[in-house]
Amino acid sequence: MDSAIGPETPKVTATTSGFVLAAAIVVLFNTTLACAKDAYAPLKNFMKSISGHDWTTQGLVDLLLFVALGFLFMNRRVGEKLPPDRLTGVLIGAVAIAGFGLALWYALF
Amino acid sequence: MPWNISSSDVILLAHATFGVAGSMAALWVFVEALNAQPANAGRIRAAALVTAVCIAAAWICGGYWYVHFYPPEKALILKGPWPFAHNLFMETKEHLFFVTAILAALLPITTREKLFSNSAARKLVLSVAGLIAITGLAVEGAGAIIDHGVKVALLQNASKGSR
Repeated sequence: MDSAIGPETPKVTATTSGFVLAAAIVVLFNTTLACAKDAYAPLKNFMKSISGHDWTTQGLVDLLLFVALGFLFMNRRVGEKLPPDRLTGVLIGAVAIAGFGLALWYALF
Repeated sequence: MPWNISSSDVILLAHATFGVAGSMAALWVFVEALNAQPANAGRIRAAALVTAVCIAAAWICGGYWYVHFYPPEKALILKGPWPFAHNLFMETKEHLFFVTAILAALLPITTREKLFSNSAARKLVLSVAGLIAITGLAVEGAGAIIDHGVKVALLQNASKGSR
């Protein structure tokens, strides 16, 4: 038996890893955009001019970005470069930053 | 007994109901994934789909209500004793909801993995489902505080009017 061969590392598909990475990026992008439009009125007005409401525009941008990045990362197999457990950690970290970041932003400003 | 229920009420209650149903469906995925086996793989995928559909419905109902019916309530809250119900809780809720929605869209994709034989995929699904349940219930709680912000503002107006 070849001792160099260890237990197989469990992997996830390129689709899963790509969309998980896309979700983590969109979650952080969403938080940044929420703070940016709150701090910079012209951005909020521009977003309002697109769909009639800045919140509607933000939701559509988030959704489109998630789908676009997900397919991009899936085709280029970008997410596979990270071990699945690291990918999970990145997603949890992104959601934690988003949740506490949003609450802190609106509590302070 | 006449039922004075407006379309605004129906949409708002549908929003909250779909939100809770989506959070509960995510919890269902979490519990099933803890004991992932070939026999419950189909059930996990079905529950993940239910989660995504419920959260999408909550998004549509809540979004429509927020854009068309919320402005007068916002004005009431800001003039009432609980302005933070809008400034902190509504502002956080309306943007945190997108996080829940993106996670709900992700869940059916992650549950296509063979969870019963892949521990990394199982941990990922447990994390996504858990995060949906946590953020979904946080958003529901914020909704209750916003609702109370309107109530205390109306009570303040009523007590001023009765003097």
